[in-house]
Amino acid sequence: MPVRKFRSIKEMNAAPLPAAPADAFDRFVRHCARYRKISARRYPRGVFKFRTIAEAQRARASVGSGSDRRESL
Amino acid sequence: MPVERDELLRILGAFESEGLDYVLIGAAAMGFQGLIRATEDLDVLIKATPENVQRLRRALGAAYGEDPSIDDILESDLLGDYPVVRYYPPSGDLFVAVMTRLGEVARFETVEAEVKEVEGIRVKVATPAALYRLKKDTMRPLDRQDAAALRERFKLRYE
Repeated sequence: MPVRKFRSIKEMNAAPLPAAPADAFDRFVRHCARYRKISARRYPRGVFKFRTIAEAQRARASVGSGSDRRESL
Repeated sequence: MPVERDELLRILGAFESEGLDYVLIGAAAMGFQGLIRATEDLDVLIKATPENVQRLRRALGAAYGEDPSIDDILESDLLGDYPVVRYYPPSGDLFVAVMTRLGEVARFETVEAEVKEVEGIRVKVATPAALYRLKKDTMRPLDRQDAAALRERFKLRYE
């Protein structure tokens, strides 16, 4: 698939990219590092407990929810 | 090398050293399977036993220099009313999301896993089909997009 089309930058950033199994781990790590540089967020430190996945996702989304915040990773 | 790489390997190595019963799910698991997208966390589904939660604490302690907040990860929570625990280490950019069950959908025993190896560390990763099943019916658009990508890449049938 040489060309992929997206309706928004958000959609593009969230789209998984195929990688060869041999270097998948390193590509994954580099991709995360790059994304973090342009979408850095600071989270409170420690242990947090949730009754459900949905509750955990809501709590995460509320961190650093400024206008520049990107879609939850 | 980016710090995140070393940190990831340190955690995964500690899981193996402590004999943790776990399976990696989420974006990191997709990465191991060859579908790359960014994430800030390591999603880990663990076997829900008191001994395994103790192994988890030991592994995180080994990876993060005995951070005292790790003692807040309790068997009574993960085996009781709080099946989702997030651990944000004192340093680094990564956090660890530990789960003992995913609603009524899944637990450690029901998620098919395979072993991947990176730098001599054996990593237990959910299979593409298992990841697809975990993601396909969730509400979050991101998960639905992941499911679609998994389905296309691995030629999975819709179930």
